[in-house]
Amino acid sequence: MAAADSPSPALRRRDLCSRGIRLAGKMRADVVDLLDIYVEQQGLDASASVAAVEGVPLAAVERWDEQTGTQRLLENLAAYRAFRALLAQMLEEQREQLGEADEGLGRALAAVLLQVSAFAYHLEELLRLESRGIPGEEGDGPPPPPPRLSLFEQKLRGLGVLRELAQWAVRSARDLRQLAKPSPATGTAPGLAESP
Amino acid sequence: MFSRWNWVACGFYLLLNICSPDVSGGLVQSCGHIIPESPVLALGSNFTALCILNESCLDFGNIYANQIIWKIKNKVVPKEQYREINRTVSSVTFNDTSSLATPLTCNILADGQIEQNIYGITVTVGLAPEKPKNLSCIVHQISMFTYVMNCTWNPGRHTFLDTEFRLRYSWPEEVFPDCIPKGVNNSCTITDIQFFVNTEIWVEAANALGKAESDPLVVDPVDIVKPLSPQNVSVSSGILPTVLKLSWENCIQDAVMTLKFNIRYRITGDTSWIEVPPEDTASPRTSFSVQGLRPYTEYAFSIRCMKEDGVGYWSDWSEAKTGITTEDQPSKGPPIWRIIDASHSPACWTVHLMWKALKPFEANGVILQYEVTVRDKSSLSSPLKKYNVTSTNHTLQLPNGTYEVTLIARNSVGASPPSVLLIPASNSKAPVKNLRTLPKHDKLWVGWTAPNSYVLKYVIEWCLVSSSSDCIIEWQIVLGDVQGIDLKGIKPFKCYLITVYPLYADGQGSGQSVKAYLKQDRPSKGPTVQTKKVGKAEAVLTWNHLTVEEQNGFIRNYTILYKTIDGNETVVTVDPSKTEYTLSSLTSDTLYTVRMMASTDNGSRTGPDFTFTTQKFGKGEIEAIVVPVCLAFLLIVLLGVLFCFNKRDLIKKHIWPIVPDPSKSNIAQWSPQVPAKHNFNSKDQMYPEGSFTDVSVVEIEADDKKSFSEQDLKPFDLLKKEKSTSEGHSSGIGGSSCMSSPRQSVSDSDEGETTQNTSSTVQYSTVVLNGYRDQTPVQVFSRSESTQPLLDSEERSEEHAGGADSTAQRQQYFRQNGGQDENNTDRPCFERAKQITQANEGDLVGFVQLQVSGQSSQPLGLGMENNTQEATLSNAFQTCTEGQTVRPETVEENPLSVADMPKSYLPQTVRQGGYMPQ
Repeated sequence: MAAADSPSPALRRRDLCSRGIRLAGKMRADVVDLLDIYVEQQGLDASASVAAVEGVPLAAVERWDEQTGTQRLLENLAAYRAFRALLAQMLEEQREQLGEADEGLGRALAAVLLQVSAFAYHLEELLRLESRGIPGEEGDGPPPPPPRLSLFEQKLRGLGVLRELAQWAVRSARDLRQLAKPSPATGTAPGLAESP
Repeated sequence: MFSRWNWVACGFYLLLNICSPDVSGGLVQSCGHIIPESPVLALGSNFTALCILNESCLDFGNIYANQIIWKIKNKVVPKEQYREINRTVSSVTFNDTSSLATPLTCNILADGQIEQNIYGITVTVGLAPEKPKNLSCIVHQISMFTYVMNCTWNPGRHTFLDTEFRLRYSWPEEVFPDCIPKGVNNSCTITDIQFFVNTEIWVEAANALGKAESDPLVVDPVDIVKPLSPQNVSVSSGILPTVLKLSWENCIQDAVMTLKFNIRYRITGDTSWIEVPPEDTASPRTSFSVQGLRPYTEYAFSIRCMKEDGVGYWSDWSEAKTGITTEDQPSKGPPIWRIIDASHSPACWTVHLMWKALKPFEANGVILQYEVTVRDKSSLSSPLKKYNVTSTNHTLQLPNGTYEVTLIARNSVGASPPSVLLIPASNSKAPVKNLRTLPKHDKLWVGWTAPNSYVLKYVIEWCLVSSSSDCIIEWQIVLGDVQGIDLKGIKPFKCYLITVYPLYADGQGSGQSVKAYLKQDRPSKGPTVQTKKVGKAEAVLTWNHLTVEEQNGFIRNYTILYKTIDGNETVVTVDPSKTEYTLSSLTSDTLYTVRMMASTDNGSRTGPDFTFTTQKFGKGEIEAIVVPVCLAFLLIVLLGVLFCFNKRDLIKKHIWPIVPDPSKSNIAQWSPQVPAKHNFNSKDQMYPEGSFTDVSVVEIEADDKKSFSEQDLKPFDLLKKEKSTSEGHSSGIGGSSCMSSPRQSVSDSDEGETTQNTSSTVQYSTVVLNGYRDQTPVQVFSRSESTQPLLDSEERSEEHAGGADSTAQRQQYFRQNGGQDENNTDRPCFERAKQITQANEGDLVGFVQLQVSGQSSQPLGLGMENNTQEATLSNAFQTCTEGQTVRPETVEENPLSVADMPKSYLPQTVRQGGYMPQ
């Protein structure tokens, strides 16, 4: 059981990484489950291809293994902040469309939204431990309000968000595992040491 | 007058102001108000309230602050607590709010008389909330994806106020909705749980007096999860008979947590669980093979889980699932024993072989059959005999000898190792020693001391002793190194017979037995006692032993309690082996109540009362009384008969007196010479020498006018004189010379006349006693031959001459003359008297005296020569006869009369009208 005491930064970092990895895994599992529910509820085809969602950074990246720790954290943070906004919008659209009729989907979306928020918090804490400034959400600018979409387009976009979130959950777990590896030289994350 | 109207108007105004609600914009305004309005106060604090009067009332009603009275619930607050701040404001102060009550009112004493209420407030007293303590949370898994977090805390003291508790939790950048308890103030359940993020949880308590927060609890909810127990547990048997495979499903996502497990199992029916080592199940899995199980045994399994790192809570144990291992061959042979019945013929045994079914963990499956092999060890050539048995016993008829019995149990997999039982021709080996028992709770421990020789096994037999049925033997075999076992299934208060046999490699020892109880109680009934025999002072009691079912324990003793109706109870303790007891020293002819008590170590029970009455007479007492009495009666009767027989003549004479026949009277011949005429020789023949009992010789003077008449000489019966003087007059009528009474002479001398009469004495007669008896004197002495009937005159003269006194004197005299027979052997007339004297030894002394006096007169004519001697002897005897009726003076007179006695015979003169011979 975690306590309110203040452990050493290394332990704190390890704990955050560990917890973040597990949260990412949980988030992926929940998103996968949510996808099934969402496809069913929205009447979509699970095999339907969705174009890249605007404002969502792609999880797939070239030279992933060459990224520094800070870079990983920053990219993750940017992505999850974007997911948080998108999921919040999806939840609002969901409520507008179905009202309180489908609480199951709404609760699942809310749970994933919380997980996304929690993961973003983990990333911020890790960046804070690295004495790196946390980029403000305003500074980065929220994704511009999406143009008014049709209902079907909203559904497809939601499907795309969830699919990309599932991808990011996998990537984030790998990123945090990478960060959690002890640095033989400095005791810090190599990625972070290499970070510009 | 004006003043009066002014006061009335003023009171009316005040009443209107007081009674009207103080509503803003209302028509009527109150004359004052209290500050603070309805306060909530901390218990124990001080409190001050102000009552402020309206200015308008001052002017119109002439009321001022000094007229204010404070009240608590109609109770006036002491004036010491008032303070007049100014003419419109009065305050009241309470140092301790615990003395406050609702409502607190401000009143005014209008016109010094009427008390009117100005305003009132409600005072609420309570406590500020304490800081909630001991906050703890646990996340319960409700379903695969649903978790709730339940937090509990200690709300602290009771505040007496409405206090709101809120459970709050947040992330650093996310604040979640508060959890507000419903109906309770110490727990709340949060339904929206997110794992992997440290969550700060705390409790806020707030009421009108304040707010308090608990210490925050920062926890990742995933670390306080109590997961659901694994579901769909199944058990399957594997190839090996000692392995069962356990499978299950986990109810929690791997993404949430990985699990470790605890597995426990037990044989169905057992109470204690065996747990698989935790390190074997510390990793995530959904199945596990439990090894080291017993073949063909049903096991129950249960499983639980928790987070793999051990942080959190164990789930509940899953519902138990059972599975059975596969069969294996029996692990050991069945224990076998035998009962040998040689009662029919000593040369041929009936051997009842019996064995115990293997326990499940020994049988390792279903025993299909038993194979019994019997080998005669005394005859090597005899073939083995095999029997296939499905039951657990088998009876054989075998000739007396030594046998080896082998038993094998077989199931579907295989056969058990053989069990071997040696049946020797005789149990000649050493038995166990010091066999003893000891109750241990619900078991009976049996212990023994091993014999000196090596013992392979011991067989313990026991059976419930019953008076109504045979002893059904139970038995058990233990190894030779055991010297005590606990017998199970022993019933309390029942008697068990326990026998231990040592089994040797080459034989068997004789059994040693002991009786034992697991637990004793007092007998269920007492002995029924009754008497076998009742005597005067003793009673033989008898009873039957209680049956073994009634005893409930070892009868240590019997106690006999007996008492009379009003007496103390006497207690006698009797050995329990006895069934009879003799009560002694009882009181005769008394009712006794007896009862009997049987005692065990744990109490006693008394039987029914029995009453008996002792006899009045003892054994033989009646006989001792009756028999002597009868004998005495018979003796008396016999003596009476003898007496009567002996005295038949006398009796006859009394009844039928002999009337002399006058025709045969020979008075003319009756003279002093007559005796000479008689044939003395013939008399001698009839009365041999010594047969005379009494002889008197009376010499009477011839010229004495008072000479003795013949009446005086009538015969006298000796015995009759001895017994009764009344019989003295039964003399022979007409009196023969033999019957003439010498007593008469003596009697005369007693009267003082004898001396003179004897001055001229003549020999008158000899007297033969008992002359009446056989009528001999009549035959011998014919006193008269006259035929004149003289009976009447004779009788009358006798009666006249002798009164009672003279009769007694005659009797005395006669006794004095008794016993002279020794010296007068030549007088047969006295023989009978002598015989009677001999028969009456008690009168011997008297007879001696008579004998002496007789001597002096015995020989006619010679009597005087002996007088001197006679007197001397009489004197000598006097001293010896004191108390006798005979007086020596009487005797002494004889010599005097003898000295003057004439020598010639003259017929007797009749004195006093006596008989005169014609």
